[in-house]
Amino acid sequence: MNRNPADIGGEAAGPIDTVDHGMKFWEKQANALRNTLTSGKVVRLDELRRAAEELGDRYYRLGYFERTTEAMRNLLLEKGLFTRSELEGKIEEIRRRYGS
Amino acid sequence: MAPSATPSAYTPAPERRFNVGDCVRVRTTHPPGHRRTPAYIRGKKGEIERVCGRFPNPEELAYGFDGEPRRVLYRVRFRQGDVWPAYESASEDFIEMEIYEHWLEPA
Amino acid sequence: MSHDHRHDPAKDEGPPSEHEILSRALQELLQDKGVLTAEQVRKRMELFDAEFPQRGARVIAHAWSNPAFKKRLLADGKAACAEWGLDLEADRLIAVENTPRVHNVIVCTLCSCYPRALLGMPPTWYKSENYRRRVVREPRAVLREFGTVIPDDVSIRVHDSNADMRYVVVPMRPKGTEGWDEEQLASILTRDTLVGVALPRV
Repeated sequence: MNRNPADIGGEAAGPIDTVDHGMKFWEKQANALRNTLTSGKVVRLDELRRAAEELGDRYYRLGYFERTTEAMRNLLLEKGLFTRSELEGKIEEIRRRYGS
Repeated sequence: MAPSATPSAYTPAPERRFNVGDCVRVRTTHPPGHRRTPAYIRGKKGEIERVCGRFPNPEELAYGFDGEPRRVLYRVRFRQGDVWPAYESASEDFIEMEIYEHWLEPA
Repeated sequence: MSHDHRHDPAKDEGPPSEHEILSRALQELLQDKGVLTAEQVRKRMELFDAEFPQRGARVIAHAWSNPAFKKRLLADGKAACAEWGLDLEADRLIAVENTPRVHNVIVCTLCSCYPRALLGMPPTWYKSENYRRRVVREPRAVLREFGTVIPDDVSIRVHDSNADMRYVVVPMRPKGTEGWDEEQLASILTRDTLVGVALPRV
């Protein structure tokens, strides 16, 4: 059977953390980024969902916004919005900015 | 197509296979790739609750295609007792979701 | 019982995580390439923070006060909101009504579809794997974890938002709210009552 890691309805699971832990600032910004790109039709939500599903086992090891960010990265690379080397360069630049 | 002055949740679907009240079964098939029909409902029998309209096929949109021609989308109601073995309650509980026409066959 | 312990800071503390850095990198690269501007993203953040979360309670309070609007809302949520002056953007809204015989609860098992333009961002529990796994199969047990008990003679309907439609629950208006204005009514329509894991309390 082909297993989509997102297709989990009906699986056995433990208790639910019923507290809403809200969102960090970067998560709100990531959400706004995603929304800007879908409203602008740069990417489609369906493509983002598919990219998240393609994370495979990694899907379960990531938090919600970590997952959506990795899916966005993979999709934008796939679409050729930038190259992997441009992305690595930008990540380095930001790391230096934070002194990390 | 000119945008409607009053946006609606529904689009017209005059050419369609099923109507409200029809008994349908979700196809039992597990194709690879992006699907919006959850595994837990495949093979289950339900009833058409509502016709939502025609929408581009998400299974195609997910890969950068335009999803045309549009597919008819229905809301289908299932009795929980028909979906899960040993459902938690004797109550008449239901689960409802949207299923695309190509995932349905008459029951 | 679900509480809103919102840690929504204006700025995050501590060193950024790998994913925060990645997200910033994506945004800045897209800005450098002219795909979007920082201002566009900032405006969307404001909408999600300040505008969207207030809407749901106001719409349902209006439905409680105005039977004709409620009827239109139940027939076509998006059109009713549009007529009332509320643009739900991409959300095709279906409003489902609680009655003495029926209680509704919403989920998206496949991801986190949610009427964001009506309710704002979904709570962390809604997006959690355990809620997505369990509420379709054992809604009564899940509702008990939220402190909500639905009697056996009331039917539960779970709505899995798995395709193009988005859902909001219209709770039953409780006794003791007679004569309340819409602002008072909105004050008891918490987000959790509109997703169906809680009941409005006077």
